[in-house]
Amino acid sequence: MTTATPLIHLRGVSKSYGPRTAVSDLSLDVPAGCAYGFLGHNGAGKTTVIRMLLGLTPPDAGTVHLDGHPVDSDRLAALGRVGAIVEEPRFHPHLTGWENLRVVAAVRGPQALRRIGPALERVGLADRARDRVATYSQGMRQRLGIARCLLVDPKLIVLDEPTNGLDPGGILQLRQLVAAFVAEGRTVFVSSHVLDEIERVCQYVAVIDRGRLVAEGPVAELVGGSATEYDLVCRDQQAALTVLSTHPAVTSAAPSGGAIRVTLGDPRAGTGLVTWLVRSGVDVVSLTPVRHSLEDRFLSLTSRVGDQHA
Amino acid sequence: MNRTLVRQMIGADLLKLRRHRPTMAAAAALSVGTSALYMLFILARHGWHLPATQLLDDGTTLMGLYFGPMAAVLVGTQAGVTDLANHVFRDLAATGRSRVLLFLTRVPAAVLLALLFTLAGFAVSTAAAYAFHGAGPGPDLGLVLRSGAWVALATAVLTTLAVGVGSLTGSASITLVAVIGWQTIVTGILYIAGFLGNLRWAVLSIALSRFLPAAQIGTRDHPGSSNALVNYKVPMPAAVAALVIVAWVLVPSVLGAWRTAHRDV
Repeated sequence: MTTATPLIHLRGVSKSYGPRTAVSDLSLDVPAGCAYGFLGHNGAGKTTVIRMLLGLTPPDAGTVHLDGHPVDSDRLAALGRVGAIVEEPRFHPHLTGWENLRVVAAVRGPQALRRIGPALERVGLADRARDRVATYSQGMRQRLGIARCLLVDPKLIVLDEPTNGLDPGGILQLRQLVAAFVAEGRTVFVSSHVLDEIERVCQYVAVIDRGRLVAEGPVAELVGGSATEYDLVCRDQQAALTVLSTHPAVTSAAPSGGAIRVTLGDPRAGTGLVTWLVRSGVDVVSLTPVRHSLEDRFLSLTSRVGDQHA
Repeated sequence: MNRTLVRQMIGADLLKLRRHRPTMAAAAALSVGTSALYMLFILARHGWHLPATQLLDDGTTLMGLYFGPMAAVLVGTQAGVTDLANHVFRDLAATGRSRVLLFLTRVPAAVLLALLFTLAGFAVSTAAAYAFHGAGPGPDLGLVLRSGAWVALATAVLTTLAVGVGSLTGSASITLVAVIGWQTIVTGILYIAGFLGNLRWAVLSIALSRFLPAAQIGTRDHPGSSNALVNYKVPMPAAVAALVIVAWVLVPSVLGAWRTAHRDV
């Protein structure tokens, strides 16, 4: 990461429940002012990390800092400008939307009370604010949860599986809200296993598997063009395959759709490949690095295709 | 600690409680409802006039030892468990605010609300005492005030106890069964278990009854009593009774606060 003072700073964080290790030696830096995706299968440890971030459960080892403040010893400073939805937004069903926000605002402080109206306006719930939450749909509860986050003018918004139970309209609305929050300079930390959403919304991503961090970086880098895999389109595939079999850096070349998928043993060999092919008499139409989807990368990193995780 | 913040938090806890209709309805029925019914029953049975002192004593006992405590326990339990039961506690804990403060503000909110009910129930019996004393003397204002204060003490103690136990267990059903079961069945058994001697001083209702302004109901001091309401009076030193009451407030409160502060949410 590039920023000197990350908004979220985890070092060597571990957490076990009895004999089961939920999170193991996790270190993470989340820069300010971005949407940061936190990916993992169900049961990978995402929610445990979020609960430790928010001081809901203490880590067995390691340190958690938010905005430079240690969560364990300076909770109010660390969490004072953090809004969060953990697992799913929950409310007192017998209270109205407005009253539910008032309950949390009372704990946050007087300024939060003044933000109830604007927060409800922002998420489009002002006209239902006086209805009991028991009558709200899942999407409305999700929006009310976001309104609750906004009561503190948050620097950091933590959303745990925010698209769960949302219809396509709700997902679109959530995506727009996240983009708007980032544009306002806020940081949004989104935990999810919906890879497509993360790819659309986030600039950075971390992948956690069995409680361990297995990848971290800008989404563009993680899904970006490969330096060792190329798709070659040419007029005579057979001739090209013959020529490619003689190239010392090519480890494999096989037809793939209308192209040839070329794999290089040395990533530096990619730059001279077109020239070499043309000189060898291959009529090259195009040679493009293979672009992986986030899903491809995620599955290759976690290697748990088809697993059923609780 | 910021006074405005604490006031706001107590207000929020009051809001959660007073908007919970089932609890409010049950508490009203147990306090004002039972007080009114009891007065109607006992007055009808005695030709619509009874000594004012007896009506007042019965009403005081009813609100301080019988149905009033049930209303108080109901309100206290709801205050102790509502955030956990609705999975909202983690959102409050995630604000960074002290969890002990989150616990502590539940107590005055619950006590205030419970007092409304039990004192309203006590007001019903007081009104009956003023209205139906017949040719006998009316109620003594000093006794009315002392009796009201005692009802308030019993209510505050029982409500705080329930908030503590509710916060400790996190379960409304367990708390209600445990506290009401203790206050009714177990206390009744212990009261008549004379062989326990001074050990009975440790029973909350017996310690509370030490300060009950009325004498024992059903004695010659109170002729015509229905004798339905035993008031758990056992001779014991006032200082011991006070210590027992403080312990019954402090121990569950400390345990409830500790559990609130350390609960994984």
